[in-house]
Amino acid sequence: MSSNKQITAVKLVLLGEAAVGKSSLVLRFVSNDFQENKEPTIGAAFLTQRCTIGDKTIKYEIWDTAGQERFQSLAPMYYRNAQAALVVYDVTKPKSFIKARHWVNELHEQASKNIIIALCGNKYDIVESEDNDVSTENEDDDSRKRKVSVQEGQTLADDEGLLFFETSAKTGFNVNEVFTTIGKHIPEATSSENAAGQERVDLTNRLDSSSTESTCQC
Amino acid sequence: MSLLNNLISKASQLSIFDKQPTEKRLSKDELFCNEYHISQGETIVDECAAELAIENSFNKNFPEVPLESNLSQLRFLSGKVYLSQHFLIFRDTYDRQSGCLKLHLSMVKQLKRLPSRNYLFLLSILTYNDLRITIQFVGIRSHCEQFSYNLKTCLTKNLKATPELVPFLETLYSEFLLSKNGSSRMDIVTPPPGGLGLIFKFPGDPVKLQNRIKTKAWWNYLKRNGRNLCINFDKSFLRLINVGLPNRLRGEIWELSCGSIYDRYMNSHEYTDLLAKNQGKSSIAIDEIEKDLYRSLPEYNAYQNPEGINRLRRVLTAYSWKNPEIGYCQAMNIVVAAMLIYMSEDQAYWCLDKLCGQIIPGYYSKTMYGVLLDQKVFESLVEKTLPMMHQHFNKHDIQLSIVSLPWFMSLFLNTMPLIYAFRIMDIFFLNGPKTLLQVALAVVKINGEKLLECEDDGECIAVFKDFFHSLDEHIPDIHYKNKTRFQELLVVAFREFSHISDETFVQYRTKNRNEVISGIESYLKKAQLRKLPKTPNLKEEHLSNVYDRYVSVLNNNYVEVGSDSSVMNFKMFAKFMDGLVDWINLEEKENIAQQKSFLIKLFKNWRSDEETGLTLENIAVGMNKLMEHDLMTSISNFFEIYDVNGTGKVDRDGILQISEDLIFLTTPWRDGYLFDEITNKAIESKIAEKIVEKRKNFDSSDEISIPSEMNFDKEKWVHEQSQRYLSLTSNFLHRAFEYALPEEENVDLIELEESEGSEKKSVIANPALNPSAPVYLNLPTFRMVVLADETSELFFTRTFKQSIHLDQKVEKGSTNVRDLFNNILADGRRVAVEVRRRINSDHTSRSSEKSQGSNTGAYNEEDDDFTANDNNEDNDYLLNNAEANVLNDSIPVEKGDKAFLQHIDHQIGSDQEGEKVIDF
Repeated sequence: MSSNKQITAVKLVLLGEAAVGKSSLVLRFVSNDFQENKEPTIGAAFLTQRCTIGDKTIKYEIWDTAGQERFQSLAPMYYRNAQAALVVYDVTKPKSFIKARHWVNELHEQASKNIIIALCGNKYDIVESEDNDVSTENEDDDSRKRKVSVQEGQTLADDEGLLFFETSAKTGFNVNEVFTTIGKHIPEATSSENAAGQERVDLTNRLDSSSTESTCQC
Repeated sequence: MSLLNNLISKASQLSIFDKQPTEKRLSKDELFCNEYHISQGETIVDECAAELAIENSFNKNFPEVPLESNLSQLRFLSGKVYLSQHFLIFRDTYDRQSGCLKLHLSMVKQLKRLPSRNYLFLLSILTYNDLRITIQFVGIRSHCEQFSYNLKTCLTKNLKATPELVPFLETLYSEFLLSKNGSSRMDIVTPPPGGLGLIFKFPGDPVKLQNRIKTKAWWNYLKRNGRNLCINFDKSFLRLINVGLPNRLRGEIWELSCGSIYDRYMNSHEYTDLLAKNQGKSSIAIDEIEKDLYRSLPEYNAYQNPEGINRLRRVLTAYSWKNPEIGYCQAMNIVVAAMLIYMSEDQAYWCLDKLCGQIIPGYYSKTMYGVLLDQKVFESLVEKTLPMMHQHFNKHDIQLSIVSLPWFMSLFLNTMPLIYAFRIMDIFFLNGPKTLLQVALAVVKINGEKLLECEDDGECIAVFKDFFHSLDEHIPDIHYKNKTRFQELLVVAFREFSHISDETFVQYRTKNRNEVISGIESYLKKAQLRKLPKTPNLKEEHLSNVYDRYVSVLNNNYVEVGSDSSVMNFKMFAKFMDGLVDWINLEEKENIAQQKSFLIKLFKNWRSDEETGLTLENIAVGMNKLMEHDLMTSISNFFEIYDVNGTGKVDRDGILQISEDLIFLTTPWRDGYLFDEITNKAIESKIAEKIVEKRKNFDSSDEISIPSEMNFDKEKWVHEQSQRYLSLTSNFLHRAFEYALPEEENVDLIELEESEGSEKKSVIANPALNPSAPVYLNLPTFRMVVLADETSELFFTRTFKQSIHLDQKVEKGSTNVRDLFNNILADGRRVAVEVRRRINSDHTSRSSEKSQGSNTGAYNEEDDDFTANDNNEDNDYLLNNAEANVLNDSIPVEKGDKAFLQHIDHQIGSDQEGEKVIDF
């Protein structure tokens, strides 16, 4: 990594229903780890991760929010000024998809105008085997674990102009891709373009301030 | 002396009243309960200035009552005694910290009145935990007599609680400790149940924490000042707490400090009963709890073990049943997990209840307004006490509340190492929520220099994280020689920020309350409205008004704003509709029964299931139905209200109900409170006629000026309209029975009856008129009956919606008949069109070309609305056109209606506005 390279700080917020795997996605991305029992997120957790995409380095400042319904009114504090958002649902839980839709609507209405939103259908590992199994193709089968089809996710993403992924924090499937793709969509940060407070650019090589920070080569 | 005491106590009373400038002023009794941490519901039965002495009477030779000769040797505190249903409380008036006796009446073993001496009125109380309390009343004799009588009465009433006393005392470590060390009359052999620490070890090194020494100090204190249900709090109590509680006593002192011990004593079986009653039931809260069980203080051994997990599950679940409004909120798991290390399940359950109900209300509620409010208070206090920090945060757009929220929500438990967090908890339970603020401010102050270098939230979080993990380090600074960072934190928090009192807290909460609540409200409003299904007949503004109204009706019943579990019961629904629609006015007693009967039908029609009331969604969808633009849908919506069983049939009773309801629903038009389109047209036509008459030689190129006022026979219009609406109802009834279909299944029955007796024959000839012959209306028939009458058709198309004021934020509009007339004049365009039409038709023969030419010339957007009418050259315009328009939907009704309301004010104000000028 060249030391003179610009580091773009990107504020990214994770939203979604409780227990869809928001914190796990972050943990996978930041530490390439997976944990069954993690302390619950009170309000929100803050983590950072550096990522090199092509010739630019992005420092993700990740706000991982609590999913419990009653914490939702706190969300504006966290998505304020965010340049990117990850709206997560669980492909086995249709309710979480409805909630995702609400979050997308809210972000469009309330968040920064140019926010990049990625829609993530998480827990792909649970449905992976049945997806590959041709014999269980019947869509109406109740025994199928997948309750939100790829098509539904894709349609929502197309309608609302979102990036779309199906991921698994457990196996790591597609996780880095989500963050890399978001990074590619972040506009080249030059200080003159930035509206005040919209984007933070780290021009100096400041010492890493967060103990959770690490680097990854995506 | 007594006079002085009286004055002092009066003054102190006054100050109690002044310190709560909250919106909802707390009553004296509520303040009393809050101040002494006893459960709400206790009321002050009596109070009296008094002097009081407390002695330990454990010594075998100690006399049961003080001897007269010893009285002068007793150390009396002077203050005031309060008597409530279950407590006798004494507070020192001079120094609030030097003495505060809390005596639960169950602890009174013996009450004696001492022989009076020098007119003094003395009582002596002996308690089960060996305290001898001597009360010397100060005040007029009759009051003293009264007080002691009241005390006797309360004691008698409280007798039935006393059998529970011994088993309860056996659950307390303080009793065991004293009994074990031979300083109590109680003989307790088995140690009481305690927290998980007994099995899984208490956090921290007991030697390093000086556990033994601390326990001994407490033993001394408890011996001298009593304990649990009867204890005197003096300065050394606070001192003992400040150095940290010993492991085995911690749970009990927590519940004693916060007062949950009294709730536990008075409801000794609630916890187990509640769990038994709800065993096997499921709820959303339980699902949420299950998810977090293994994520609560996972670093502590017990929570890797079924024993710990089960206790945690039981306490959280029981509380979610006790308080479904709160249910379960993340962070409660951490707080309860911490409590359970030192407390039994029962203790933790009641302590949690106290926490959520009295100490930090609203922290874990569905909107979390309490914790959000305290973040605002915290930020304001940073601004006030650490202005430099505040400026820095502002400059760099750092939101401190983002960082501090988890501190407050988890009472620092997931922020700092447990042993330190418990020290904060020790003080928190005694001093309440201001403790959290003091600590948070101290954290910011101590880290000030580093924070001033931070430029965003993330960097601040890192600074705090480092700090909390270095609390056990020693500080190199000379002032804090050999002190740890944690000790520094305590000193800064409780000395430098000691001025953050309960009063300051209340004051700041009050100041920020509205902002926080309106912030939450507007967020929830947006979120709720976003969730609603599509309601095409309601405008955004309508929905917003519906929401405001909905919430305002609920707010009178719930403290919690915008809680999404809230539903409206019927009473609230009636209040919601009152004034929103012209036909519901709950103050109108005359047809109140009729109003209610219709509202009940509407209520049942709108709700999604029979169990609950109306949700916001129900209301929005219901309102959307009432405002239906499509005639056919509008009719079938109305029909559904009466088709209660969903069979597609409305029976005889139903038909009669419809007709009765039509009478009352059309009241605004029958009373001339509103004019429908037909009347409006007629009046417009009349005005036009008058204008044309006045100016016989009108040339179509002339300007038409409409006078701001005209003389009308108002009564006549009102009367005509009223007649029309009366006949609407009678026509409906008539036609409904004429076209009603006989219930076929029952035809046989009628025939049977016929063969039995012939006197009914003539009636049976027309089954509809026979009250015993079942008939019904189905939707197509109902539709036919409605469409058969012009007024009624118009009623379902547009008229009815006139009476629903979704666009009005204010209460009932005060439109009267005069305004209606003026309004027609104000909306001069339509009259002008009518005038133009008349003139045009008069002049068609002689100057059609000219008029047409100028017509095109003056063509503008406003006139655009009337082009459809222009095609209608019929001279007999009035009624025919009205009818035609109903079918064609071509009249700009909405514009007219809006102008109806808007122009009233304009009209009254200026004549100029009244003169509408229209070019031809």
